[in-house]
Amino acid sequence: MKNAIFGLVAMLAVFTAGCGGEPVGRPDQTTEVETTTKTSSTSTMPAFSVASSEYPSWSTLMVAAKAGLINGSKGGKPGVLEKKWNVDVVLEVKDYDPCLAQFATGAVDAVCMTNMDSLNPALGRPCTAICPTSTSVGADKVIAVDATKPEDLKGKKVYGLAKSVSQYSYYRELEKRGLNPVEYPFENLDPAAAATALQSGSGEVKAICVWNPFALQTLRTNTQSKMICDSAEIPEEIIDMIVIGNDSLKKDGGENFAALLCDTYYEVCNRLNDTDKDRADATLTALGEDFSKLPLDDMRIIVKETRFYDTPQKGITLFTSESYKQTMETVVLTCQKIEVLEKDKPAPTIGYNDPEKQLNFSTKYMEMASEKK
Amino acid sequence: MRIKQPIKQRWKIILGVIGVFILLVIYSHLSYRQHVKNPTDTTMPNFSQLMDGIKMVTTPRENALQAAFGVVEEPSSNPIVRFWTQSWKTMIVQDAWATYSRLVKGLVWGCVLSMILGTLMGCFDGLASFLLPTLSFLSKVPGTAMLAVFFVLAGTGETMFIAMIGFGILPTLTQSIYLSARDDLHHEEIDKAYTLGASNIEVIWEVVFPQILPKILDNIRLQLGPAMVFLIAAEMLVGQVGMGYQVRMQQRLLHMNVVYDYLFILGATGLLMDKGMLSFRQWWCPWFDRDR
Amino acid sequence: MSHKVILNIENVSQWFGKNRVLHDINLKIVQGQFVALVGPSGCGKSTLLRAILGTEPPKEGIIETDGVQVIGPNRNVGIVYQKYGLYRFLTVQENVAFGPKLDKTQIYHRTCMPWHWLPLKKQQREEAKAMLEKLRLKDSHDKYPSELSGGMQQRVAIAQALVMKPKLLLLDEPFGALDESTREELQMMLLRLYQENLAAIKIGEEPPWTVIIITHELNEAFYVSDRVVGLSKNWREMPKTGGMKRGEHFGATKVWDKAAPTFRPDEPKDFSRFIPMRDELKNSVLSEVGNVELDRNAHVSFWDDLANGVGTGVAFTKGPSDE
Repeated sequence: MKNAIFGLVAMLAVFTAGCGGEPVGRPDQTTEVETTTKTSSTSTMPAFSVASSEYPSWSTLMVAAKAGLINGSKGGKPGVLEKKWNVDVVLEVKDYDPCLAQFATGAVDAVCMTNMDSLNPALGRPCTAICPTSTSVGADKVIAVDATKPEDLKGKKVYGLAKSVSQYSYYRELEKRGLNPVEYPFENLDPAAAATALQSGSGEVKAICVWNPFALQTLRTNTQSKMICDSAEIPEEIIDMIVIGNDSLKKDGGENFAALLCDTYYEVCNRLNDTDKDRADATLTALGEDFSKLPLDDMRIIVKETRFYDTPQKGITLFTSESYKQTMETVVLTCQKIEVLEKDKPAPTIGYNDPEKQLNFSTKYMEMASEKK
Repeated sequence: MRIKQPIKQRWKIILGVIGVFILLVIYSHLSYRQHVKNPTDTTMPNFSQLMDGIKMVTTPRENALQAAFGVVEEPSSNPIVRFWTQSWKTMIVQDAWATYSRLVKGLVWGCVLSMILGTLMGCFDGLASFLLPTLSFLSKVPGTAMLAVFFVLAGTGETMFIAMIGFGILPTLTQSIYLSARDDLHHEEIDKAYTLGASNIEVIWEVVFPQILPKILDNIRLQLGPAMVFLIAAEMLVGQVGMGYQVRMQQRLLHMNVVYDYLFILGATGLLMDKGMLSFRQWWCPWFDRDR
Repeated sequence: MSHKVILNIENVSQWFGKNRVLHDINLKIVQGQFVALVGPSGCGKSTLLRAILGTEPPKEGIIETDGVQVIGPNRNVGIVYQKYGLYRFLTVQENVAFGPKLDKTQIYHRTCMPWHWLPLKKQQREEAKAMLEKLRLKDSHDKYPSELSGGMQQRVAIAQALVMKPKLLLLDEPFGALDESTREELQMMLLRLYQENLAAIKIGEEPPWTVIIITHELNEAFYVSDRVVGLSKNWREMPKTGGMKRGEHFGATKVWDKAAPTFRPDEPKDFSRFIPMRDELKNSVLSEVGNVELDRNAHVSFWDDLANGVGTGVAFTKGPSDE
């Protein structure tokens, strides 16, 4: 009898512990929330979802949720910007791969992903890139022991996540130096595992290609490791952006949702660039908490290597420039070479402010965000 | 009608087929709805996309590195040899071979060590007291959480996979073999062996081990599942070839048709291994099932 | 008459913590005897058996088989248990050949010297087959024990023990789980073995089988054996130094040791030959503790009877050299 009671109590304890815990994205109500007498509620607003993973420029959305700009969950008290645009935003934070998968199946309306990673989803679900958030200028590094320049790595294996920005950046960095990428093998290994392997000095892994924060940590802990080359050599080829499905844009309130996302991003960027140094630092610290819990000093380095397009003007300039069109052609070609895109199938059609194309780079919503200040 | 009323064999088969059929119908419906939403969808592949996937994984691929260096292989004139070498270049054969050879090697190491340790622990209480705390603790640590530990200790090559599977199944398997060796024999059987002139080693090898062998085989069969879980989890992070690696890659590229094909193969092979172990036990220990 | 003592139990006592089980047991068994060990339930018969076998050596006293002190179970003392007698993973023939295989060869021998082992293995299988035939189990070679009836299993277990030709064979209530007719059959088998003893003595050879059988069944005890030994706590002793000892406090001891009438397998089962002895034993040894307290030595008379030539059986039989 005693055993039965004990077992029952234990089960109940485990059960309640599992049921408790708040869903990610629900913000703490801070003092920045304007108390308003308006009776607007989220129940009448159309709801849209955006999936994001932890990354310097994308974690701005998480910071926005914590600051009360958006409330991040379905229903509940609307955030400042949600009221402005009359859209309820649901923010889902998860790992990068699940974000892409959810977007492709239509489970979320918008997602934060890179330009090269948008190619495959665009084939299945036509979408629009509404806002470039940042570009990698050194955030993806090739790090090795026993080597100083890329030529040293000829025939040697570089480990990183295959068919990702790591492989892309390594390929392009080699091409830019006139080297033949086929002679420089790239082996698949999860970036966390790759960083661990290089740090622990285990036999086989002598060169890795990873992104931040792994790159930063590896250079610090393994004093013999050197950075061989990085994405600073290919600026503006890897673009982090916010993408929304065309089917979601067509829905009622879809365009407002796109504008809201841009607006949210620029709002947080404004605070990062705040003239009041303390406010700026506080925002950067908050950003660090949503990016692998990095401290303030590390975050300063991070934002140098991941250059933010922190105003609508910068974003619009990028999407309308001729050089960017060239860049996208290079991106598509390279993706076919490293087999991110299937060779014998056509690549997605790419457009610039052309909604008919499968992947459309649009400046419309950045303009909407900057106009409705 | 009361419970436990038997039904005809014919009905068992029919109901089983209907069950699988309904599952296929539900899936087809979901896939259809997805394609209505999005005609070019690849996340819930329909039948033709799945067929495409099969074609993709069974097409021989040339080695890009060799081609770059101008190394050309002459195809053999013998059709059987040609089929063999060509199959070896397909994704499915390479991945399946990589995964299952890792599995077998890891299993062999894990099982042999467990059998030795477990049997000896069951026979010698001192050894059992020595090893039991560590083993029972380790068996509760989820193997997938310990992957990083294996990366550090065993590198990221084939050795790591074998070590991970072997040490992943060792604690649980050793414990169950130990309990079997300790409890499944009556003292009469042991004492009598000594009166029949057996030495200690002979009692362990000729009496204890054969008696617990069917249980050991069953426990190994039950560890096949967890071993596959560790293996696939590790392959998703490490490696250039293997079912886990391929599934992760194709997921990222949203080629779910290949993923579903691979999942089907994983499931079917798992079933085959399970049934295989059962038949193996029946063949090696015919007395066990008659005993029941 | 040579009275080679095969089993010598001298002043053996056994206790577990405060629980005293056996007290000062003395017993000498002559080669070729079939001794039945009887006593009330829980009096310590199995404990004594385990002491003889060597799995639980006595805390006090000596046990010797053929002059060698017992330190653990070994091939010189065979045993047949009431249950779990056979190895389930071996066929009947393999079960009976198991002993010779373990006794005469080693693992190294069997794996690394197949040219030596395989012919030996064949020979041992043949011997096993012969023993099975002797015990009327001709057609069961390739069956597994689970496919046999209880009676046949016990016969195989006995064959398994006999093929080793042990110096002493212990039977721990071997027929307890069997039905009446099977039990009678197996009792017949024991009588046939006993006849082999008598035949051997008559031609001047050593009798091959010495048996101790533990049983609850008094009729069986007197029918099958040629000497009955009774254990009980139902005794008291008044030593010369004073201070009465009682079985209740000190544990069971030997309170009965007399020769029993011997039967031939073809003779009719005439229980009247031992009914008076049986009843006397029942009323003394087996009665409840406290009812009738015996003097320890009241019914212990085997060796005296032997000296006086009063009794039948192996110990009393003269060989050719005794004429």
